[in-house]
Amino acid sequence: MAEREYLISLWIRVWHWINAILILVLTVTGISLHFADPNLPLVEFALSVRLHNIAGVTLIFAYLFFVIANIVSGNWWQFVPKPPGIMQRAMAQGRWYVIGIFKGEPHPHTPSKTTHFNTLQSLTYWSVMYLVMPVVIVTGLIYLYPEFAPDQLFGYDGLLPVALLHYLSAAVILLFMLSHIYLGTTGKTVGSMFKMMITGWHEH
Amino acid sequence: MTLHQIRTVIAGLLLFAVVLFPAYAQEEKTSAAMTPELLEKIRKSNNECFACHSEEGFKNPPKVEMDLVKLRTLVQDTKAFNGSNHGLMECKQCHGQGYNDFPHEAEASAKLSPCEECHAVKVLKIEMQFDASVHAVNVKEKFTCNTCHSPHIDLIASKLIDPRKIVAQDNRHCLDCHDSDLQFAKFAPDDEKTLLKKARPNIDTIHDWLPNTRRHWQRVRCIECHTPEGKGGKILSHQIMDKEKAEKKCLACHNTNSSLMTRLYRHLIKEEQQKLGFVNSVILSNSYVLGATRNPLLDAVLMITVGALLLGLLLHGLGRIVVRLMQRRNNHG
Repeated sequence: MAEREYLISLWIRVWHWINAILILVLTVTGISLHFADPNLPLVEFALSVRLHNIAGVTLIFAYLFFVIANIVSGNWWQFVPKPPGIMQRAMAQGRWYVIGIFKGEPHPHTPSKTTHFNTLQSLTYWSVMYLVMPVVIVTGLIYLYPEFAPDQLFGYDGLLPVALLHYLSAAVILLFMLSHIYLGTTGKTVGSMFKMMITGWHEH
Repeated sequence: MTLHQIRTVIAGLLLFAVVLFPAYAQEEKTSAAMTPELLEKIRKSNNECFACHSEEGFKNPPKVEMDLVKLRTLVQDTKAFNGSNHGLMECKQCHGQGYNDFPHEAEASAKLSPCEECHAVKVLKIEMQFDASVHAVNVKEKFTCNTCHSPHIDLIASKLIDPRKIVAQDNRHCLDCHDSDLQFAKFAPDDEKTLLKKARPNIDTIHDWLPNTRRHWQRVRCIECHTPEGKGGKILSHQIMDKEKAEKKCLACHNTNSSLMTRLYRHLIKEEQQKLGFVNSVILSNSYVLGATRNPLLDAVLMITVGALLLGLLLHGLGRIVVRLMQRRNNHG
């Protein structure tokens, strides 16, 4: 096997980093808005609203691009965990993160042109991108145009369930982002996977 | 204390005893002394007025020689009046002189009882606030209580209770003029430079810094931002502030110590029970206010989850570093 292999297309890398910047901006401003407190200003409230709205709308376009480009290029297939032995491979991957990595065991999955992701990655990425992201985007859109929210629901403002769903799905994305950044250090070297997401070349 | 000073104090006390106290007492007794018989008498008396001054009266005028064009402008909503602040009073209480016979006296409207005849204490307090307001600075001579408060419709917030009804009523006071060129022109001062009537600033344009502007106006009152922070008195200040002085800090409302609780929602403060675990949950019946209507338990669970994840990742990373260092030491050893 070659020492390095070109795996990640330019459009995926560009989308990935735009998405990363947007999610970071949305996280910081979202926290500033939700935990608004005059004594603990992270980002000023009005500025947070503007930045959050701009980044949110940009995220919608970035997400639409991601979905369409995945369909057109066939890259969507990468996100689908392939049988047989999905559970066994996921368990083996989990075991490597918890135990194997400390013993210096080889990575149980070798990325290739046909299978970029290990089973845990494809399961997580698929869930985040196709289950959680639509929720955070749709609830964010309703938040942006609250006239589309139900006026009242069970005696409360109809925006309450929308806001709660937005908050919870955003929290899931935050948890994913933190794990994703950390697990990015588990490549051949601490920086090799970050490098791959810039150059597109994977170092075996 | 000189004799003159003593006289002044006594005169002041007498003025209070003679003018203010009876007026205050009258304000208090209006509804307290109501009986079914008295109510029937009031309704009967008012029905004589509504025979003409109502939609029904306008459609079927009891007298042929009536000026219907003028009457159209003087029609009242009887149902709204009966539920208003003055709904338990006779029309004659204010429209006393000159209104008994038809046609009414030409100068009858000039003889209307002034508000302070009943609301002396309030007016005394409000006048000082009003004198400092933007309306007093620019158009004082054109402003009366009636300019904003409709004596035939309005109901005080402590009786309306429902924040949406309070907002709808109170914002109408402001938007009737500030969202209408026709109404604004009636009060607009002359522009110092052009000597023409000041043009009405577009209400949306001057509020374009406020996200979801119209949504805000449906859910909170203009006066939440355009009056100074009060000291928890019975009524909010009548010192209407212009855009330079108005509150522009979003955090005034958008935090757990929201000023909405001492303003729009102060009449519901006793109902605050932190429903569903939310702080300021009483607001939730009307609005989800970002930063103000939070669920501390949910926040804590999520913060602990994020904290636990970070700790786990940190320990995992430290473990990898330690293992790597040990491997290096073994290799070198």
